[in-house]
Amino acid sequence: MSAVSDPPAEPRPLRSDLAGSDLVEPDPLAPSMPMVAHATLSEEAEDALPAHGEHDRGTLLASAALGVVMMIGAVVVLVDAAGLRPSDEVVGPAVAPTAVGILLGVLGALLVLQAGRHLRTATAPQELPHRRLLRLAAMVALLVAFAVVLPFVGYVVASALLFTGAALLLGAPHPARTAAYGWTLAGVVFLVFDRLIGLALPAGPWGF
Amino acid sequence: MDQVQSLVQGFGDALTPANLLWAFIGVTIGTAVGVLPGIGPALTVAMLLPITFRLDPASALIMFAGIYYGGMYGGSTTSILLNTPGETASMMSALEGNKMARAGRAAAALATAAIGSFVAGTIGTLGLTFLAPVVADLALTFGPPEYVALMAVAFVTVAALLGPNLVKGFASLAIGLAVGLVGIDAQTGQPRLSFGVPAMLDGIDVVILVVALFALGETFGHLLAGTGSATVEPVRGRAVLSRADLRRSWPAWLRGTALGFPIGSLPAGGADVPTFLSYSLERRLSKHKNEFGQGAIEGLAGPEAANNAAAAGVLVPLLTIGLPTSATAAVILTAFQSYGLQPGPQLFSESGPLVWALLASLYIGNLMLLVLNLPLVKIWARMLTIPAYGIYAGVLVFATLGTFAAGGTTTDLILLYLLGLLGLLMRLADVPVAPAVIAMILGPLAEQQLRRALAISEGDPSILLSGPINIVLWSIVALALLLPPTLAVLGRRRHAAPAAAARAH
Repeated sequence: MSAVSDPPAEPRPLRSDLAGSDLVEPDPLAPSMPMVAHATLSEEAEDALPAHGEHDRGTLLASAALGVVMMIGAVVVLVDAAGLRPSDEVVGPAVAPTAVGILLGVLGALLVLQAGRHLRTATAPQELPHRRLLRLAAMVALLVAFAVVLPFVGYVVASALLFTGAALLLGAPHPARTAAYGWTLAGVVFLVFDRLIGLALPAGPWGF
Repeated sequence: MDQVQSLVQGFGDALTPANLLWAFIGVTIGTAVGVLPGIGPALTVAMLLPITFRLDPASALIMFAGIYYGGMYGGSTTSILLNTPGETASMMSALEGNKMARAGRAAAALATAAIGSFVAGTIGTLGLTFLAPVVADLALTFGPPEYVALMAVAFVTVAALLGPNLVKGFASLAIGLAVGLVGIDAQTGQPRLSFGVPAMLDGIDVVILVVALFALGETFGHLLAGTGSATVEPVRGRAVLSRADLRRSWPAWLRGTALGFPIGSLPAGGADVPTFLSYSLERRLSKHKNEFGQGAIEGLAGPEAANNAAAAGVLVPLLTIGLPTSATAAVILTAFQSYGLQPGPQLFSESGPLVWALLASLYIGNLMLLVLNLPLVKIWARMLTIPAYGIYAGVLVFATLGTFAAGGTTTDLILLYLLGLLGLLMRLADVPVAPAVIAMILGPLAEQQLRRALAISEGDPSILLSGPINIVLWSIVALALLLPPTLAVLGRRRHAAPAAAARAH
């Protein structure tokens, strides 16, 4: 395993805003520890993003973006609600969607405002490496491709390709070995879920 | 005593060789998946749900109970050895447990966590056994107005307790409510938010939302954030407790249980809260205050027990009122429905034998886990050395499998990806995802009960405040809304850990 660990540092105290985050990387330890796992994106380990706090710029921008998405969602929900045929009941079909739409819109706006208020005092502007965004885009493309080809090539082939592609995007070091893992996993999952449990997974022209 | 007799019967059903095998498979797979870093109990049960689909309801429930408890156990192993808590509830375990492991006391840490979980799980399940039928009887007297009020309490507490601030907690809630709207309106048969897409007419399956927000959001976040390396602490020696450790552990286990079960069984969100309370309680009571932060065993034993007792407690409102108060409980509710059972006050009278077999298998699963976990802990530790790319790629394969089993169309997969991107945005914005999952399940139920209530009163909204129960419940809602801002104003300078830390899940 090619573990490139960050330079040994004083263990950080577990701060509340860090502790809950799933993006937080654990404290780097002395390199002499016996079992070392999770060596991925190794060439980039050094520029791995530091954990985000509630007031760093990345978090604030993401909050604002989520707020905007919620406001757009609110419009969609409200328009959809307006198109519903009313019933003669007190709580008709449009009542709940209208309430939810308003809630979405108000909270979205509040998120944007909250982010905007803190943005001036935000800490450490974080530059997101373009390579990472490209990786994310590639992952989404891979997943969409999986969904599209699944009915045609069957579960085993599609899943094996999904596993291999995803693992490589996540930094797997040996393409051939990763592909072997992928085929094995897909095969086992198919045998267990389709043959043993009877879930009827999509079969390709070759029956698996 | 009625309960004892029913429970004995339940044990009779659960102790058949076939059902014991299902329980064993359940706890093993549950632990194996729960141990994987970044995979909390909610995701574990959501991903493994398809395994149980083709079994008969009793075996499926028994296996599922095993997966649930196994996932909880697995999570604590990860927090101790790797310091990457898969969920908020095991954060406190990571705090002291990982420090102990670093000091070379991993075996003792795992032992106190496993035995503490067993003690708490068993007491919690006992509490569930005797409390649930009582609550179910009480719940039989509830009418629609009481349900509306109970759900309002759940909504507000979940949003208030799980976010870094009220706006973010409620934002998550609103997103979940919007997702819950999708599908055919039960009253008029009109499709809502379905945009003419056939796959969306039956609504969005909660498994899809859980997998999207927890698994895909996590994987995408991992891609963006990159990762350094994490070190798995080695386990030296056998996982046994020395006499001194035991003396320090057992009071903490009992105190943790005493906090965890009652708080967990409230029909309100916040099953994670007892772990924080237990940690600060142990810290205050300990004779070894200086060890806190450096690996104090009672600081691990208490929260670990609280977490497991709360996990049993959460089943009280779930089984008796049909009210899920955690993301995991929301998935369990769906699982029950897929087995043809409707949790609620009638569950005990209509499907009595099944429920009692489930309760019996909770005891059995707990015991199995203790037997399984202590000797096998080195194997679980090996699982932690699976590299992250392997885990996340494997999670994607299982996530798509679960989605396919739940929906079965390409549209469901596309929906999964879109929700996964939403989950990534929520994660980046520090918005908790658990309230969305709970709101998605509770939203449609609340609408239905509100309609019933107002149909009874012929449109008079005062029915919602009729009777003392409703008034108390709505007061709690008001309190939960007003208290956090008030406290924030009072103690602005104090960024205390627990309240702000209760996020992410």
